[in-house]
Amino acid sequence: MAHYQGNSDIIMDEQMPIFGGYAGGIEETAIVDIATHINAFVMSNASWHLDGPVHIRWGSTNTRETLMIAGWTCATISEFTNMISGNQYYPCAGPCTEMCLLEASAQSMTDTSSGREILSGVAAAKGVVQDKTTGMEARMMGEVARATAGMEIEEVNRILDSLVKLYEKDYANAPEGKTFQECYDVATVTPTDEYVKVYEGARRKLEELGLVF
Amino acid sequence: MTFTRSVDCFEFYDRAKKGQKTSQDDWDLMTIPMKAIELKQKYNLDFKNEFVPTDKGMMENLFKAGFEMLLECGIFCTDTSRVVKYTEDEIWDAINNVQKEFVLGTGRDAVNVRKRNVGDKRKPIVQGGPTGSPISEDMFMPVHLSYALEKEVDTIVNGVMMTVRGKPPIPGSPYEILAAKTEGRLIKTAAAMAGRPGIAI
Repeated sequence: MAHYQGNSDIIMDEQMPIFGGYAGGIEETAIVDIATHINAFVMSNASWHLDGPVHIRWGSTNTRETLMIAGWTCATISEFTNMISGNQYYPCAGPCTEMCLLEASAQSMTDTSSGREILSGVAAAKGVVQDKTTGMEARMMGEVARATAGMEIEEVNRILDSLVKLYEKDYANAPEGKTFQECYDVATVTPTDEYVKVYEGARRKLEELGLVF
Repeated sequence: MTFTRSVDCFEFYDRAKKGQKTSQDDWDLMTIPMKAIELKQKYNLDFKNEFVPTDKGMMENLFKAGFEMLLECGIFCTDTSRVVKYTEDEIWDAINNVQKEFVLGTGRDAVNVRKRNVGDKRKPIVQGGPTGSPISEDMFMPVHLSYALEKEVDTIVNGVMMTVRGKPPIPGSPYEILAAKTEGRLIKTAAAMAGRPGIAI
């Protein structure tokens, strides 16, 4: 930290509050999230704070509860301070699955609408399985952010409620998805036709829910 | 109370050596959960199943609760088992003097990170990458190239290379340093191959 400060570097200070952890429930965890946001700028003289409310049971940032913590915390920080905040993406499902893309989309909508400055991801398959992330998940995160920017908050909340319902029953049996080598032609770094079709399917579902790309 | 000077990492270090002693169990199992429940009740916090809030009064209460949590509990330093506390003025000093914008990356690939608001019409910055996920040595460069090739991606967040020259990057070993430097070089190469040599990592 002393080196970064002495070198005039951009400093990112990260913490991931755990829903169901020591703090407890949704509102309690959001209180801790606000406190740790502020602490980043007191203790570390941070340029920005990287957030990531995560569910203790599912290891995911895309659950209903963790999205609410992220949305309320970021909106509150945006409303009452000039702090810059990012959020990390850890869906349950792996790449080349509709569930993974829908999970990432729900968080992208929450983050974009609540005033988040930086979306960081996507660590598919909870970020714990080797080679199970690809550029396609990040594309979805970006496309959904573009579509969500400027939407009415009430409409965002309505879509989010329907969107989360599509996958929240499947956390225990989330599809494992495929590795990068299986999702892409590695030589040309091009996604497979299969993944493109899965992506189109997820996009269609989002459009049916009311998101306009 | 007026503070003598702004808090920084040096002041934090000094306070972490002489703050009040406590155990991690007391901190984790008593201090934080009890204060969180107390503040939730004090400020009548109820998010009413909204993902993004529409109630500004409730948001203000959440801000006060979070501020009070930091002010009254402070920060537990696990290295010294001591609590670092700040005054109210020191916290406001930090809040009032944050960077409102900065640049990530260089040249044509640089992006401006600027404060956004609730319901903002501007798209946020997309930091694409494995975000700490484990990536094999062989696939490390192409995986990151897949992000750099996406126009929706503004900056890169890296994965973790699981081996370097076939050996695991055990913390404290020379392979750890080699892996970290190799990660940086391979991502830079991926960025250059995508025609975005200045993209921030």
